[in-house]
Amino acid sequence: MAVRQDEAVEREVRVAARPETVFAFLVDPEKQVLWMGRRAELDARPGGIYRVEINDEAVARGEFVEIVPPSKVLVSFGWEGQEAGRGEHGVPPGSSRVEVTLEPDGDGTLVRLRHYDLPEQARDMHGQGWELYLGRLAIAASGGDPGPDPNQPAD
Amino acid sequence: MRALAEPNRRRILELVAGAERSAGEIAAEFAITRPAVSQHLAVLRQAGLVEERREGTRRLYRARPEGFVPLRDFLERFWDERLERLRLAAELEEGRRRSGSSSG
Repeated sequence: MAVRQDEAVEREVRVAARPETVFAFLVDPEKQVLWMGRRAELDARPGGIYRVEINDEAVARGEFVEIVPPSKVLVSFGWEGQEAGRGEHGVPPGSSRVEVTLEPDGDGTLVRLRHYDLPEQARDMHGQGWELYLGRLAIAASGGDPGPDPNQPAD
Repeated sequence: MRALAEPNRRRILELVAGAERSAGEIAAEFAITRPAVSQHLAVLRQAGLVEERREGTRRLYRARPEGFVPLRDFLERFWDERLERLRLAAELEEGRRRSGSSSG
């Protein structure tokens, strides 16, 4: 279970839509909230704000770094409430990077997301990484059901 | 996330990370009301981070190490879910646009 926490998180999905269509969902606040967050403030130019409210507990914030229509968006990324000095173990706003690339794939688009520059984390709860369990905590804290514990057998 | 920055919740986790403690012991560490502490404990329990055990009339709490998910695992699930929604939303949009252009 030796997972290197400083490695990037990489995910991809194929979308049956053109890159231009997908791209709009990365830079247009109204479209952003159709796939992530309930409110979004996006100023898609270098240095422009990137702020997405997921729920009461979770607000992603950073800045646009690079915008290349319709093939790439790079933003700095972190969570509000984890600013430096308010907790030594968080992912402060803008402290990591999320890069999304869109590549034509037949009549669709291959979407690749890479989240990197993540803080190195320890699994030990006495050590770093309070944000590790954060997704579950955020959901539970906002009144939702975080679902079964991924580390526990279902019952 | 704010849940994490919530100082009382974080402090509760720190308190019960090293040792099992009763609700009274936990509440004694805080300036907030006991019901407020109970509410934080309920959130932590629901998130699977803290477990409760009853001993007579006392309720004892301790952190569950297995409830802690590495950041990487969390982010993989987080982005998988978002990308799936992005896929659905973009495909819906394109379907609309295509049918829209064909009709007009």
